[in-house]
Amino acid sequence: MTKWLEQPLSWENALFFTAMAVVFLLIVLLYVVYAILFERKVLGWMQWRHGPNRLGPWGMFQTVADVLKLLFKEDTIPRKADRALFIIAPALCYAPSFAVLAVIPYTRELYFADLNVAVVYYAALSAISTIAIVLGGWASNNKYSLLGGMRSGAQMISYEVPLVLSIVGTVMMTGSMNLRKIVEAQGDWFWQWNFLPQIIGFGVFLVAAVSELNRSPFDLPEAESELVAGYHTEYSGFRFAFFMLAEYVYMFAIAGLASVLFLGGWRPPAPFLDFIPGIVWMILKMAFVIFFLFWLRATMPRVRIDQLMGFAWKVLLPLAILNVFVTAVGLELFIKG
Amino acid sequence: MKGMIQGLGVTLKTMFSKKVTYAYPDEPLKMPDRFRGIQHFDPDKCIVCNQCARICPTQCITLTGKPNPDPEKKGKVIDTYDINFELCILCDLCTEVCPTEAIVMTNNFELAAYSRDELFKDREWLENNNTNIRQDNNNIGAPQRGGAK
Amino acid sequence: MIRTEELLLNVGPQHPSTHGVLRIVVKLDGEVIKEATPVIGYLHRGTEKLAESLNYTQIIPYTDRMDYLSAMTNNYVLCYAVEKMMGIEVPERAQFLRLIVMELQRIASHLVWWGTYLLDLGALSPFLFAFKDREKIVDLFNELCGARLTYNYMRVGGVKWDAPPGWIDKVRDFIPYMEKQLQDYDRLVTGNEIFLNRVKGIGKYDAETAIAWGLSGVNLRCTGVKWDLRKDEPYCIYDRFEFDVPVGKNGDCYDRYLLRIEEIRQSLRILKQAVEQFPSSGETMGKVPRVIRPPEGETYVRIEAPRGELGCHIVSKGKAEPYRLKFRRPSFNNLQMLPKLLVGETMSNLIAILGGVDIVLGEVDC
Repeated sequence: MTKWLEQPLSWENALFFTAMAVVFLLIVLLYVVYAILFERKVLGWMQWRHGPNRLGPWGMFQTVADVLKLLFKEDTIPRKADRALFIIAPALCYAPSFAVLAVIPYTRELYFADLNVAVVYYAALSAISTIAIVLGGWASNNKYSLLGGMRSGAQMISYEVPLVLSIVGTVMMTGSMNLRKIVEAQGDWFWQWNFLPQIIGFGVFLVAAVSELNRSPFDLPEAESELVAGYHTEYSGFRFAFFMLAEYVYMFAIAGLASVLFLGGWRPPAPFLDFIPGIVWMILKMAFVIFFLFWLRATMPRVRIDQLMGFAWKVLLPLAILNVFVTAVGLELFIKG
Repeated sequence: MKGMIQGLGVTLKTMFSKKVTYAYPDEPLKMPDRFRGIQHFDPDKCIVCNQCARICPTQCITLTGKPNPDPEKKGKVIDTYDINFELCILCDLCTEVCPTEAIVMTNNFELAAYSRDELFKDREWLENNNTNIRQDNNNIGAPQRGGAK
Repeated sequence: MIRTEELLLNVGPQHPSTHGVLRIVVKLDGEVIKEATPVIGYLHRGTEKLAESLNYTQIIPYTDRMDYLSAMTNNYVLCYAVEKMMGIEVPERAQFLRLIVMELQRIASHLVWWGTYLLDLGALSPFLFAFKDREKIVDLFNELCGARLTYNYMRVGGVKWDAPPGWIDKVRDFIPYMEKQLQDYDRLVTGNEIFLNRVKGIGKYDAETAIAWGLSGVNLRCTGVKWDLRKDEPYCIYDRFEFDVPVGKNGDCYDRYLLRIEEIRQSLRILKQAVEQFPSSGETMGKVPRVIRPPEGETYVRIEAPRGELGCHIVSKGKAEPYRLKFRRPSFNNLQMLPKLLVGETMSNLIAILGGVDIVLGEVDC
């Protein structure tokens, strides 16, 4: 990719980039289909069940059937809904989730944009989805949706702050916001990766990331036992599928980001494992992060909204700031000195 | 933190444990003998005493008798016997009061149907429902052989 | 010009967390509840009125359907009332069987509560953990009386079925199994900090309020009032067994949670003794007239159902059908306090408090 990205933009490589984007989109869609299956399987296993097993071997086509069903469903828009916003919201939610995938380097060569402000780009784009969720909740003209949308707005804005601050420590250690450089700067052995020196940052990042994803235990915007289905109560069919898609693509993005920032990206855990291609390590690490999210969902009750906000501002934010200071002091004492 | 990590441990342990769900539609469920499923009706045993229809808490049993075709014998024989499974709560009282065990429970329980009409079972259907018939129809508990007054 | 309005929100009758068809009309200011009115009656089947045209044996299947998570205790309260009116002696073996099924039922009922309560709080797994273990009890019942939910097991004067061979041993095996599972439950949920934050200090009331509102069962004991009919007004053969009545201190959702878990332990303790003392032979049906006609008069009996004090009031005119039958359903009484508890709480707490009360709509609406 480096070669192509360094060339001046011409019709030829514009076409190539488009083709790559489409291929990548298909890969992401495939990932979403099987992430959902995997989630349901893991949830099942953790609850003494087998999970989906009716359709295809090992339930392989269950999600495919579910997606088909969503596609064939009647497209309903409530009469009192704000039509334009109701239609825009799912697309607006999904688009940035795919756009953020561009800056994540999957191997040394495979990346779609070599951005030197990748971290900021990620944080900025993912905030757009919040607007979409609030819009969707408001446009539905349903009280549960409204509550869900408002919760989501409050939650995602609050957790954006510790999320970005927790990355600052990593950025300081590397001296770059380029995700590729951040991976390059991590050592060969797994204990040289960022998650150990940045253990506070890593913890804060994980918690804030789960919250940004609106997943259990922070799934308040949906909170099916309280708000029925939260912001997408009125959505069905393909529009609902888009919200769902966005959620799972964000999961992909967060898993990628966590692997790149803290878990050494495409690097093998030990130098002698170098013969296995980097993409495998990247996929393994992302799969582990995604599994961790499912695992949390199978275990945790839901946090209450006021405790959630309190946790963001009173615990995570001070911790993240502390981490920045500790990193600064550490860098001054051990690296420079 | 400690509690949460313990919880994560429990779910992880469960993930590798043996699963407990039944493979129900693939393998039929084996119900214990006393299971109260759809009734089997044996017209030859019935003496048209009407006790089942009277004890039924939901009045889902309707039956009519006719004079015994064999002029030698007295009494009645059963003519029609219908159970409406829209109403039937499978409470076991009809089999409990039946003096001749003409109506007994079976272990069949699959009553789902596409139409309500299909839930209206007549004498013939109930007679042919003759698989998995309950062996032990011990009626010790039946307090009211006389039925409702 | 910005103005703020109160949001009128119908929680239910179709809502994931109302445990059936309860509807609560809440007035919300943001997420804070200003006013809450429970609306009941969506599951009303007129059991008490229907009973007036049925004889006593026919009413038993109807009692199954009141508190459908605890059909055995409902069976019992009716039989107990009729037996008391007619002075029927219940044989020893039948008494033991009744006690064993009632205690198993209490465990099953508390397990369902445990699972659904955690589901309300957003944890998915406990629900299936609880149902996995409840399945064992339900299987035991299935073997005993041929049904998994609506047992119709007890009869006036005894029980319908004697225990099948080996059944008592299965109950004996179940006790250590359940004790082991309870440890898992504690590790999965009781120590979880998120859970503790959700339930500690939520839905608090004191003993005076609880008595004034007529609460019973765990909802009363969580305030520290030691009142358990199994101890204070022993029925069946509860006076022969040793068990503790756990009480709480704070009267919040957390205490109610702990009490229910502890009650499962105490029930196991009773079961353990009952299985050991179980008579090896004997009748399961007492001497009962062919037609049950309680003498003219009335009677009221009460027992400790899993949800609280379950009462049965029979007015008889000496006929085979009751003149009037009234059930004092614990869920119905416990629910009445809800509007008072909910004011000033948030939507999330609504779910936590409502779940903590432990209602079954079949019983509330009767």
